Amino acid sequence: MFYLKLAWRNILRNKRRTIIASIAIGVGLASMILTDGIMIGMKDNLVDSATSTLLGEAQIHHKYFRKTQDVEKTIINKNEVLKELGGDNSVDKFSERTLSLGMITSPSTVESVIVYGIDPDSDKYLSKIDNRIREGTYFGSEGKRDIVIGSKLAEVLEVSLGDRIVITVAQAFTGDLSQEMFLIGGIYHFNVKEMDNGMVFIRKEKAQEMLNISTEIHEIAVKFTGIRMAEDKNLTFWEKYGSGENEALSWAKIMPELKNMLDMTDVSLYMMGGILFFIVIFGIINALFMSLYERMFEFGILKAVGTRPGGLRKLILFEAASLAVISNIIGIILGFIGSILLVKYGIDYGGIEISGAYMHEKIYPVMTIFQYIKYPVFVLIFTIIIGLYPAIVAGRMKVTDALRKSM
Amino acid sequence: MDQKTIISTENLVKTYKDNGMEAKAVRGISLEITSGEFTAVVGPSGSGKTTFLNLISGLDTPTKGTVMINNKLISEMKGKELSDFRRDNIGFVFQSYNLIPVLTVEENIEYIMLLQNVPKSERHERVIKILEEVGLSGLETRRPTQLSGGQQQRVAIARAMVSNPTLILADEPTANLDSEMGSELLKMMKVLNETTGMTFLFSTHDEMIMDRARRLITLKDGLVKTDEIR
Repeated sequence: MFYLKLAWRNILRNKRRTIIASIAIGVGLASMILTDGIMIGMKDNLVDSATSTLLGEAQIHHKYFRKTQDVEKTIINKNEVLKELGGDNSVDKFSERTLSLGMITSPSTVESVIVYGIDPDSDKYLSKIDNRIREGTYFGSEGKRDIVIGSKLAEVLEVSLGDRIVITVAQAFTGDLSQEMFLIGGIYHFNVKEMDNGMVFIRKEKAQEMLNISTEIHEIAVKFTGIRMAEDKNLTFWEKYGSGENEALSWAKIMPELKNMLDMTDVSLYMMGGILFFIVIFGIINALFMSLYERMFEFGILKAVGTRPGGLRKLILFEAASLAVISNIIGIILGFIGSILLVKYGIDYGGIEISGAYMHEKIYPVMTIFQYIKYPVFVLIFTIIIGLYPAIVAGRMKVTDALRKSM
Repeated sequence: MDQKTIISTENLVKTYKDNGMEAKAVRGISLEITSGEFTAVVGPSGSGKTTFLNLISGLDTPTKGTVMINNKLISEMKGKELSDFRRDNIGFVFQSYNLIPVLTVEENIEYIMLLQNVPKSERHERVIKILEEVGLSGLETRRPTQLSGGQQQRVAIARAMVSNPTLILADEPTANLDSEMGSELLKMMKVLNETTGMTFLFSTHDEMIMDRARRLITLKDGLVKTDEIR
């Protein structure tokens, strides 16, 4: 206890230096805590943007559908799969879809598009099309010929709400062309080129009729009960719905480029954390060594009067730990204040695209108690590890060298 | 060795090597100092008196020869054993007071007893008593910076004596004090020497100490030039 008391008094001896060093270390620590929270927030934002816009957190298809885009490759045993999904505890929502390539024709021009056949009632839980309607409604009328198209496509086709357009698709098995006229019931705007220009949404039953696939579907988009469940490779979902002729894929497999980018984000987080950590650690080294060399004479006295080398080592390690504790308190307070501000105001990256995913919302840091424990503990442990060197130097120091001309 | 002999050195040699050059600071000193002596080691700068005292106290190791204190071969001791021996047998008074500035007077004095695991109540009693003896009663809660130079040196003496060591080694204890303070301090040490029977060994240039010392050892070029008992 005596060494601990002495260590605290030594640390507080030069208050200005201790405060400056502690603030420098504390700012580094607060940056580490906030960076961690922001990176998690950014990842969640990206994943949420990617999955909740249209993709879903997972999808079920016929094994060869994604590869071939053949409309006859519909989900095998669809009714059984849907029944099981309905009773699956890991599944929050799901929506059936048809997907096909098609042509959209207006009086002015023709464009190729992806034609989604959806059930508007269930799909609104899996996509954000309904939230992004700029004109008209999201399948507001009961009419089977309603179509919802993107704003850019409307511009290209030179059409507006209520105008007629024609969709042409190739039917399953025969390849015969099927054409239907639709009325534009809604125009959405995502500010994302691929979505605003290349997709159209019609009712599922109409799409099935056009594609001649009866009540079959190509895709089931799934939302899990937890946001991170899609990243759990051991989830029984994948085995259960991905065996046989069907495949069940997470968003990470469907958008590998986003997954890779997020993995890179982890690497950059570690690198940034490492850099910040080095700044923090060098602050500690500097403070400890300045204090050590300034007090060599004093250590010489302590040793001369009978302090064992272990006693001096203990004293220096306590000083290092005391500095870490002060710095941790400052860092935690600064981190907490910073996180309150960031959680309140967020960081606006709206509209920025990263690996195919668009951030529509502000980034809000995800703060957990773990961040306020993990990084301060790191600082404490590393400070003590770093303190070992000056502690060993002090323990081995020759008293006569320390005292110089004394005695 | 006589029972009353506190320090015994035999053919003590210390050679320093610097850039391949050898410098002999102590060239072979053999002497004995007995219990209760009030001895001054004097000599010009470079005569080897600092090195000699460093060797006696175990702060430095001899190149050749031996040092025995209280019948213990201190020149062969190392690490923990040497630290503990110094703690229990030697009290140090340094030139520039050398109190720990962040500790109070009481904490500075009790530090060695703390290393010896003396119980708190006994430590406090002994601190109060020794402060009385050095004339600093009531100052136990002060920090060294709140004391005059003379008072600080008295605290240093109290620290050196409080654990009842057999030997007090004092390096120029009056060098930083004015002559009046130095004289008072010396008087006090003399009284303590007479009342406690502790052995005092000084390294000094101070004529006052030389005058009052009962034995005067003069070193020159690392050897004992004269050894005068008064």
